[in-house]
Amino acid sequence: MRLTIKKYLVTLVAAFLLSATAQAADPIRIGYSDWPGWVAWEVGIEKDWFKEAGVKVQFEWFDYVASMDAFAAGKLDAVAMTNGDALVTGSTGAKSVMFLINDYSNGNDMVVGAPGIKSIKDLKGKKVGVEIGFVGHLILLNALKDHGMSEKDVELVNVPTNETPQVLASGQVAAIVAWQPNSGQALKLVPGSKKLYSSADKPGLIYDTLAATPQSYSARKAEYAKIAKVWYRIVEYIQNPKTHDDAIKIMASRVGLKPKQYAEIVKGTKILTLKEAKAYFKKADGFKSIYGSSKISDDFNVANKVYKKPEKYESYIDSSIIDKM
Amino acid sequence: MSASSILRRKLKQYQNFILATLSFIIPLTVWSIVSYVPYVWHPKVEITVPGDVSYFSEGLLVDREIFEREKANVLAEGKAIPEGLPANPIYFPAPDEVASAFYTAFVTEPTRRNEKWLHESLWDSIKVIFWGFVISSIFGVPLGVLMGTYRIFSKLNEPFIEFFRYLPAPAFGALAVAILGIHQGPKIAIIFIGTFFQQVLVIANTTRKLDPMLVEAALTLGAKRTSLLFKVVLPGISTNLFRDLRILLGWAWTYLIVAELIGSSSGITWFITQQARYKNFDNVYAAIMMIGIIGLSSDIILRLIGKHLFPWEQHKSLS
Repeated sequence: MRLTIKKYLVTLVAAFLLSATAQAADPIRIGYSDWPGWVAWEVGIEKDWFKEAGVKVQFEWFDYVASMDAFAAGKLDAVAMTNGDALVTGSTGAKSVMFLINDYSNGNDMVVGAPGIKSIKDLKGKKVGVEIGFVGHLILLNALKDHGMSEKDVELVNVPTNETPQVLASGQVAAIVAWQPNSGQALKLVPGSKKLYSSADKPGLIYDTLAATPQSYSARKAEYAKIAKVWYRIVEYIQNPKTHDDAIKIMASRVGLKPKQYAEIVKGTKILTLKEAKAYFKKADGFKSIYGSSKISDDFNVANKVYKKPEKYESYIDSSIIDKM
Repeated sequence: MSASSILRRKLKQYQNFILATLSFIIPLTVWSIVSYVPYVWHPKVEITVPGDVSYFSEGLLVDREIFEREKANVLAEGKAIPEGLPANPIYFPAPDEVASAFYTAFVTEPTRRNEKWLHESLWDSIKVIFWGFVISSIFGVPLGVLMGTYRIFSKLNEPFIEFFRYLPAPAFGALAVAILGIHQGPKIAIIFIGTFFQQVLVIANTTRKLDPMLVEAALTLGAKRTSLLFKVVLPGISTNLFRDLRILLGWAWTYLIVAELIGSSSGITWFITQQARYKNFDNVYAAIMMIGIIGLSSDIILRLIGKHLFPWEQHKSLS
């Protein structure tokens, strides 16, 4: 009997010590939200791959804007956001380092025209519903530019992106700009509506990344490297035809959709392999590089008075973890 | 029989029950008629056979006029005619769709390890409401009673509270996250902000309505300040106070939908917004009903507790 009590005490003390050491290394807190390239993290969480890789993480599921707010408030160590939004968040004080590119939008962001509108050119002099100053606006400007037009040729109506399908259905605008699932909903809701332009016409306009606070990134770089390793295990699992369906099943359940519905949405997102990501991390102008893309976002943000002074966009990008892989 | 006795005539138990049932059956019948009887509303057509219309596909919802126009077009060209059934917009699912979504939502097993059963999400929401309301009441009830009893408290606090109650609670979301973190803390804070200021004013008002004769009589009989408060005012307002709290609890629920979108997403209202985003309106209405059922049941429970606590009140109430 005495032995058991002793044994019990020893275990108790051991457990206590263990939990104390565990507390010493707090998990890395990561915010993520409803975008296929980020929902993909769910695969790694579900399969417990972070534990296998020996890194403690705590993923927190958010609404996109709420996740950036929490990051700005210092409640997260890293957050999933687009390269353009990283600059916007940084302009108000919450700088970040984008060290991993999950994907680029490859068709999920679209300009959808009302029935009868056959091309971007038909929009001349008409109203377009778009969330001004955000990603959709950037897409629209590029669509107009590619067709020899400018913002002056259309009348912008400020519409929250998640309400764009109803606005298009109301018939009060000639087109809307939205991303999935809203863009797909608009096409479904308004028969005869047509995709006029999409991010597939301009791959690399929007890169979706994982961005960490500079403090946490420099202090715990080895752990972030392990997170990157898990990411490419996830990518492999999604892209391997044998495991693809299981990956989609896990992702679909995160957003509360049926796997079949979600597979469609995942298609418009180009999830990058390590090799591809390395290429996009090279410095270059234009959309083929995250540097060029961020420069374009920065110019856009300044031009649209999202913030006043240009951000030092290069300081937001760090490819050293990916380069070493 | 005088007019007032007709108006206030006491109903028999079974009559009460029938009326209460009818109050649910009437809206349900209207909903069913609009859903199931063709062309009561049905502004859309659900395509069953696309025919030769290029953009029609099975299951697509189109406006009735568009359907007729396209049908006329292909008919004129001598091509295959589309077919369809009258349908309501996706924002308006039929009762059976909502009922089956209601059932499915509870029995669907979580597919991921860290996913929650629906009843667990609901329980999270109930906890947020509970704590928001309890914390608000701990401060709000004493303050309200003091303000209603003593003029000095009312003059000292009321102007600021009147001002603050107009400030929209959800707007404090970012601040709440910065101070209280990303989990339940900021959500409870929003419920608190949304409830507290109204609560203080309502309770102060209820306290003021206490029959002044009671207070005067107590003072004449030599009651001291504290005994006036605890022996006269509090017992005097207790029934109305309890009723106020019941109504305010309902108020707290209305803030849940914004509260749960702050910080990390969780709870039943997150389920509602997420499903609305993907236009699964059967799930949305099912979840709204769950909140309704929880709200109504908690109210009934509180009413029963009230009957037990204040048995002398029964004869006064209309029911």
